[in-house]
Parts: sequence; structure tokens; C-alpha cells
Amino acid sequence: MMTPMFDELIHAPTRLSLVAFLAATSWADFAVLRDSLTLSDSALSKQLTTLADAGYVEIRKSFVGKRPRTSARLTAEGRAAFEGHVLALQEIVSRAGHSLVSSEVTEQS
Amino acid sequence: MNDPNGLNDPSDPNGLNSLNGPDGPNDSTGPVGPIDPADAARALTEIDRRREQVLRRKVIPAWNWWTHAALIVVQTAAFESGRPVLMWSGVGLFVVCSLAVDLPVSRAARAAAPHRSLAGPGMAWRTLVGLVAFVAGLGGVAVATAFGLMAAKVPHPVTIAAAVAAVAFAVGGQLLVRLEQAVLVRRSAGRG
Repeated sequence: MMTPMFDELIHAPTRLSLVAFLAATSWADFAVLRDSLTLSDSALSKQLTTLADAGYVEIRKSFVGKRPRTSARLTAEGRAAFEGHVLALQEIVSRAGHSLVSSEVTEQS
Repeated sequence: MNDPNGLNDPSDPNGLNSLNGPDGPNDSTGPVGPIDPADAARALTEIDRRREQVLRRKVIPAWNWWTHAALIVVQTAAFESGRPVLMWSGVGLFVVCSLAVDLPVSRAARAAAPHRSLAGPGMAWRTLVGLVAFVAGLGGVAVATAFGLMAAKVPHPVTIAAAVAAVAFAVGGQLLVRLEQAVLVRRSAGRG
């Protein structure tokens, strides 16, 4: 069973969007990622490199005819880190809900 | 060790109980983890939004449906003419044009194919059943229209029936894809 694990690397806003998009795909083309996340080529490249260095993303370069094509996907490690991060976020939200309810009960009594 | 906020609590390796606020773990107004709950909720919303973006990506454009519809009508008209030259030309046109319009679509589909874990169990069967029912429905519309037109002695009944079925294919196909996407979005909610 997956354990909640807050991940600072994933949580940065641009990377969170990128990893969330990659988590929903098998492979995603560089162009699709750039257009879907409205990032510049250099910004996307930088984020992908950061995630690849952490072992969260695998980058594949191939050719379609003479045109180079770059794709990326989450590695098993990256997917596990993302799932752990989602659980951690859910836990933070649910704990906040619980403490809000308990404080309301305290106020009423 | 100076650890007033219990950040090194061994029972909480993820720091989810660590305090960023001044009042302790039961402080309902301050953050209850490494980030503010509102920030966590926003992050979860963003994750949902990106998953939905992948699932609702328009892979098959409207022109693709209408091109196939037109090809169905042309092909049927060629067959109904009964002239071998037209029939074989129709077959050739159908194959070449279908490949030409489907190639970019299949490339676009592979550019960001949804991960299989999003569908959940039974989704492939559900899709298959929906597809078979759709094709059977189109066949039923075509056959019923063709027989009705034949009975009314309308000229070119098969081509007209194919045109009716082709319009149903183009309109219904797009609706079916949207329905499938909506079902996938609903079923994948909370899967991260």
C-alpha cells in the first residue's frame, strides 16, 4: 500500500502541472506538453531535465521521418513519488477538515 | 535537541503533523502539514484539471468524422452504380483517403495517450460494447432507410440510406467519443 509522502520537488507549481499531466499519460510528446501547459520550450526542457535528474522522468528522443521527436514519461519511481504526494495532499486537506469540525464542536459546547 | 515543533517526530516521517503555526497540532486556523491546507486543496484541483485535460484532449477532429462520412457515401454510390470501374475506383479512393486522414489522427492519439490505470477495470469491455452497439445502430438505420426508400420506389435508395447513416455516424461518433471521455473523467476521479 502506498504511503503519503510530501514531495517538495513535485510540489513546485510548474512541475506539479507537468507531473500531473505525465501521470495521466503513458508517453507525452514534448510539443503536447509545451502547448497543454503553455510553457516555453526552454522552461519545459529545464523542468524535464530537473525531473529526469531526480529519476522521476524518462526522456526518449526519436525521429518521425526527418523531424526529431522528444517524448517523456514518468518512471516507476516518479509515478510512486507522485502517488505518495497526492496521498499526502489528501491527508493534509482531510486533517484540516477534521480539525475544522472539531473546533466547531468545541465552540458550540 | 531543540525541536519545539516536533519536526523530527519519528512517528511522522512525512512531516504531516509538523507545525508551521504557533499553536500546536490542534490549531485549526494554521497549516496542518508542510503546506497550508488551502494550498494542498489547490494542488489537488490542479492535478484533477491536468488529468481531465489529458482525457478530454480532442484527438479525432470533426473534419475526420465528416471525411469518413463522405467516403462512405461515395463508396456506396460507386457500388450502387453497378459499373466495375466506378466500384474499384471507389474502393481505391476509400482506402487511400482513409489512410491519409487517419494517419495524423493516430499520430495525435499517440502523442499523449491516457495511461491505462485511469480507465479502471471493465472499461475496455464497456467501450467495446458501446462501439458494437453504435455500429449495429448505424447498420439498422441504413437497412431500414434503404428498404423504406425501395418500397417507396425512390431512386438510388442505397446511396440515400448510406448518406443518412453517414450523417448519423459523424454526429453520433463525436457524441460517443465525448460520452466516453466523460465516463473516463468520472471513473478516474481520485486516481491521482
